[in-house]
Amino acid sequence: MLRVGAKRLLGLGLGHRAPALPGAAAGSGAAAVVVRGYHERVVDHYNNPRNVGSFDKNDPNVGTGLVGAPACGDVMKLQIKVDKESGKIVDACFKTFGCGSAIASSSVATEWVKGKPMEEVLSIKNTEIAKHLSLPPVKLHCSMLAEDAIKAAIKDYEAKKTRMAQQDSESVPDEKAADA
Amino acid sequence: MSSWRKLSVSGLSLLCRRSRLPPNLHLGSHLSRLHKCYFPPHFVSCSGHHRLFPESRVFGRFSCSSESGNGRCWNCGTAAALAEPFLSCRACGSVQPVDQSVDYFQIFGLEKGYDIPDGNLEGKYKDWQKKLHPDLVHSKSEKEKTFAADQSARVNDAYRTLNKSLSRALYLMRLEGVHVDEEKTVMDPDLLAEMMDIREAVEEASDSHALKQLQTQIERKFEAWANSFREAFKRKNFDDAINSIQRMRYYDRAIEEIIKKL
Repeated sequence: MLRVGAKRLLGLGLGHRAPALPGAAAGSGAAAVVVRGYHERVVDHYNNPRNVGSFDKNDPNVGTGLVGAPACGDVMKLQIKVDKESGKIVDACFKTFGCGSAIASSSVATEWVKGKPMEEVLSIKNTEIAKHLSLPPVKLHCSMLAEDAIKAAIKDYEAKKTRMAQQDSESVPDEKAADA
Repeated sequence: MSSWRKLSVSGLSLLCRRSRLPPNLHLGSHLSRLHKCYFPPHFVSCSGHHRLFPESRVFGRFSCSSESGNGRCWNCGTAAALAEPFLSCRACGSVQPVDQSVDYFQIFGLEKGYDIPDGNLEGKYKDWQKKLHPDLVHSKSEKEKTFAADQSARVNDAYRTLNKSLSRALYLMRLEGVHVDEEKTVMDPDLLAEMMDIREAVEEASDSHALKQLQTQIERKFEAWANSFREAFKRKNFDDAINSIQRMRYYDRAIEEIIKKL
């Protein structure tokens, strides 16, 4: 069902943002799109979406990155699940409303962050994503969005951790007082 | 102001290349005052609107007005009407070269501002195309064919830009010389969370009735922010204006998706 949801989610995006070649009609099949200029990796991520979904935002081990592209009104949500002890990202998922390139970029991002420590994923650059997907210059901002989403997710997780640590330290004096 | 004078003395020929000049009425108005000092008096009474470099012989390479020669038809020499943008000659009907200093509002005879009276645009657009369309000049000279292609393309752009609220707002900002940054990632959590919800709702909407309801809701929000843009623009509060445009764009995108789905 998730897959269906993902296809519908992606379907509108890809159909709308087919590359601006003459005759590139919205809603044409995936095969036609390959001929017209989407790299096969982008089409692959579109047809076989990985990691589409949502984690519980309030889960303390989850960091949520929510970013938007001003030029096209795209929205991208990227979530990471972090193992507290090791500081490694054990799982990631995304939800993107936008063009095929934006969807593929966020999909690649979720694949690349899985199993890596947080500090390492901060060094993932949009140029690497763009190169992997052979994004044309006009779509480079999509990969930038994915890079920003990763950073935002990590920032959110760190902020959450700090907040919870603060809450813990605030509650300890009360306990001491109760014991005493 | 003095920097414009310096430019006009030393770099005028450079500035003449119209492709480098953004349509900017402020620039035009400064220079049209200047050109009274430097150029022969009869050049001053070119068309009623400000033209940047109406005469050509001094500068030679200015393709746009090099043919039209200070507001006169290149073909028959009739002077342009003062109140109208000089896109085609009223005497012989020849299409004139594009003048970038005429902005889109002037082409449609409108006051520069966010609000435009309804029903005006399409009629005027069709009127222009009856005079400028390339199909009408297929038996004319290559020169005029090029003019027709450029002019009618420009009128097309003008119509499309002014017809939609969002593009109109963006164009207004551009005319004011305000750069609307389209590169920087949006991080506003409230806006993005709201857009996520809206886009998800559009995805999950079960029938056209639900979609139309959503569309009405979003259109209302769009209008609210359009009003906010109007006010901010009037007050020259460009930061608020940009913020409003951003919101308008997001809502507009959502409406686009709904329309596609319907």
